[in-house]
Amino acid sequence: MNIQTKTVAAPANEIENNKESSTTKAEFFRRYFRVVHALFAVLILIQFIPDQLPTETYASYVIWFAVGVEVLTLVVSAFIKKPKSLNLFVDIVAFIYGLLIAWTLATAKFNILKPALFPPPGKVFWQFIGDYDKILTNIQSSAGIILQGYLLAIAVAIPLGLFLGWSARLGSAATYISKFLGAIPPIVYIPYGIALLPTFRSVSVFVIFLATFWPVLAGTMSGVMNVEKKTIDSAKVLNVNKFTMLFSVILPASLQQIFIGCNQGLTVSFVLLTSAEMIGAQSGLGYYIKNYSDFGDYTRTIVGLIVVGIVIVAISFLFNRIQKFLLRWKQ
Amino acid sequence: MSKIEIKNLTVDYIEKKKSFTALKDVSFSIEEGEFVSVIGSSGCGKSTLLSILEGINTATDGEILINGKPVTGTGADRGVVFQHYSLFPWMTARKNVAFGIKQVNKTASRAERYQLADEFLQKVGLEQFKNKYPSQLSGGMQQRVAIARALAMDTDILLMDEPFGAIDAKNRTILQELLLELWENATPRKTVVFVTHDIDEAILLSDKIVMMTANPGRVYREIRVPFDRPRNRAELVQTKDYTKFRNELLAMFYSDIVSKIGGEEVVL
Repeated sequence: MNIQTKTVAAPANEIENNKESSTTKAEFFRRYFRVVHALFAVLILIQFIPDQLPTETYASYVIWFAVGVEVLTLVVSAFIKKPKSLNLFVDIVAFIYGLLIAWTLATAKFNILKPALFPPPGKVFWQFIGDYDKILTNIQSSAGIILQGYLLAIAVAIPLGLFLGWSARLGSAATYISKFLGAIPPIVYIPYGIALLPTFRSVSVFVIFLATFWPVLAGTMSGVMNVEKKTIDSAKVLNVNKFTMLFSVILPASLQQIFIGCNQGLTVSFVLLTSAEMIGAQSGLGYYIKNYSDFGDYTRTIVGLIVVGIVIVAISFLFNRIQKFLLRWKQ
Repeated sequence: MSKIEIKNLTVDYIEKKKSFTALKDVSFSIEEGEFVSVIGSSGCGKSTLLSILEGINTATDGEILINGKPVTGTGADRGVVFQHYSLFPWMTARKNVAFGIKQVNKTASRAERYQLADEFLQKVGLEQFKNKYPSQLSGGMQQRVAIARALAMDTDILLMDEPFGAIDAKNRTILQELLLELWENATPRKTVVFVTHDIDEAILLSDKIVMMTANPGRVYREIRVPFDRPRNRAELVQTKDYTKFRNELLAMFYSDIVSKIGGEEVVL
C-alpha cells in the first residue's frame, strides 16, 4: 500500500492541474496523494537498514506506530471536509514522520548521537508501552492535583470577581488590592504552604489554587469593569434583580476576559506543578522525569517529556473547545 | 390624572468640572394610550429626558409621575427599546425575548415563556430566526427582536429612544409601519414615548408631538397630530393636509434654530 502511494505522490501537483481529469478525480488525488505518505514510506524503509547500535533498537515498534498513524491519517483524510483543516492535520503528521526519520537515522542506523543520552525511537515506544500503567498513575496524580486546585480556584474566583468587579465599577479599593496580591508570583507561597499544610499534595493544590485564583479574579474583575454601560442599562430597564444582573448579564458579558484569566492560570499551574513535582514529590509526571534522569535512564526521561507534552496539548485542546462553545455567540 | 406627568424637570450634568444644563424646566403630560413623540435636534436633551423616564438617570430638580407616583428607578411598568444594544449578544432572539418575559412574569414556566416569545417573534416576522444570535441578525432584525421583547413584556408604557435611527431608509419605513400596526391593533393601546429626530416618523406614528430646543433643553411646542387612525402612510402622505402640516412643523423646527443663530453658539 505504502509503496504505491509513494510512487504516485510526487506528480500530485501535475494531476491536480490537469484540466481534463474530472473534478472529483482531482479532489481524490488532492486528498490522498501527498508528500506525507512518501515520508511514511521512507520511515518504514529505513527501518530495514542494518542497525549500528550494539543494543536492541526495537524497530518494529516504530513500524507499528507509523502504521497506526498512517491508518489514522487516511481515515481522517476521508472525513475532514475543510481543505485547511486537512492540510493542518497532514502537516503535523508529516512533521512527526520527518522527526522520526531523522531520529532513527541519527541513533539506530548511523549512531551519530551518544546512545546513552539519545535512545532510538523504537526503544522509547517500547518503554512507553512497558511503563504504561506507571505513566497512567502519574498522569492521574498530576491531573488530580491540577483539577482540584484549578477548579476550586475558578469556583471561588469567578463569583468573587463578579461581586468585587461590580462594586469596583462603583469605585472601590478591590482592584488595587487584587492587583497587589496577584503580582506576587505564586511559587513564593510554596515555603509558607509547606509550613501550613501537612502533605505535598495539599501544598500543591494550595499553590495551584493561588496560581489560578489571582489571574481569574483579575480577569473577571477587569471583564466586569469593561462591560459596556449600554449592556448594563439594557438589563437595568428590564428591572432585573441583583443576582440575575451578576450571573445572567455581567457574567456572560465578561466571559471573554474571564477566559483569559483561566488560560493564564492553567499555563502557570502546569509550570508550577511539574516544577514542584521535580523537587519534592513521590509521584506525578515531573517526578517521573526527574527520578529517571537521576538514574541516567534517558529513555524514560524522553517518554516523560513526550507524555507531559501530550497531556498539556490535550488539556489545552479541551479547554479551547469549551471556550469556543461558551463564546459561540461572538463572531 | 394623566398617565405620565413630567413636572419642571431640570437636569444638570457636571462634565470636566463644568456644569451643563441638559434639561431646563421641562413640563408636559401624556395620557393613557397616547403615542407621544419627542422631537428635536441633537443635544436638546430628548434622550436625557427618556433616560429619566426609564429610571436609569435621575433629575436634579422636578419629578416625573407615573399613575400619580414619582419615578425613583427602573420599573416593570415600562418597556424600553434603545437605538443600539437592547439585546444581549449571548442570547438567541428567542432567549432574549423570553428573558424579558421572565423579568415581569416570574411564575411562567420556561415552556410558556418560549411559547410567548415565539408568538411575538412571529408578530414581528422573525419566527425563522428565533435561534439566531444578535450578531447573526441585521440591525433591522435586531430592532424587531427588541420590539418583540418590549411588547411581549406587556408593560403599560413603551419607551423608545430613536429605535430606527441607525437603520437604512427602506427598512426604517417597514419598521415604522410594523410598529404602527402593532400599536394601533392592540387593545388597550399602550402609552408610548418615542424619541426621534425624524419629522415624518413623528407625524406618522404620534398623537402628539413635543418639540424641544437645545441649550438648555426645553419644550418649545406641543403639537397635536390631526390625522385619523388607523393611518396608512401611502394615503396619508398624498393628502394636502399632510403636506401643510408637515411644512408648518418644519417651519417651527427651523425657526427655533434660526432664532438661535444670531450671536449664540449652536451645535447642529
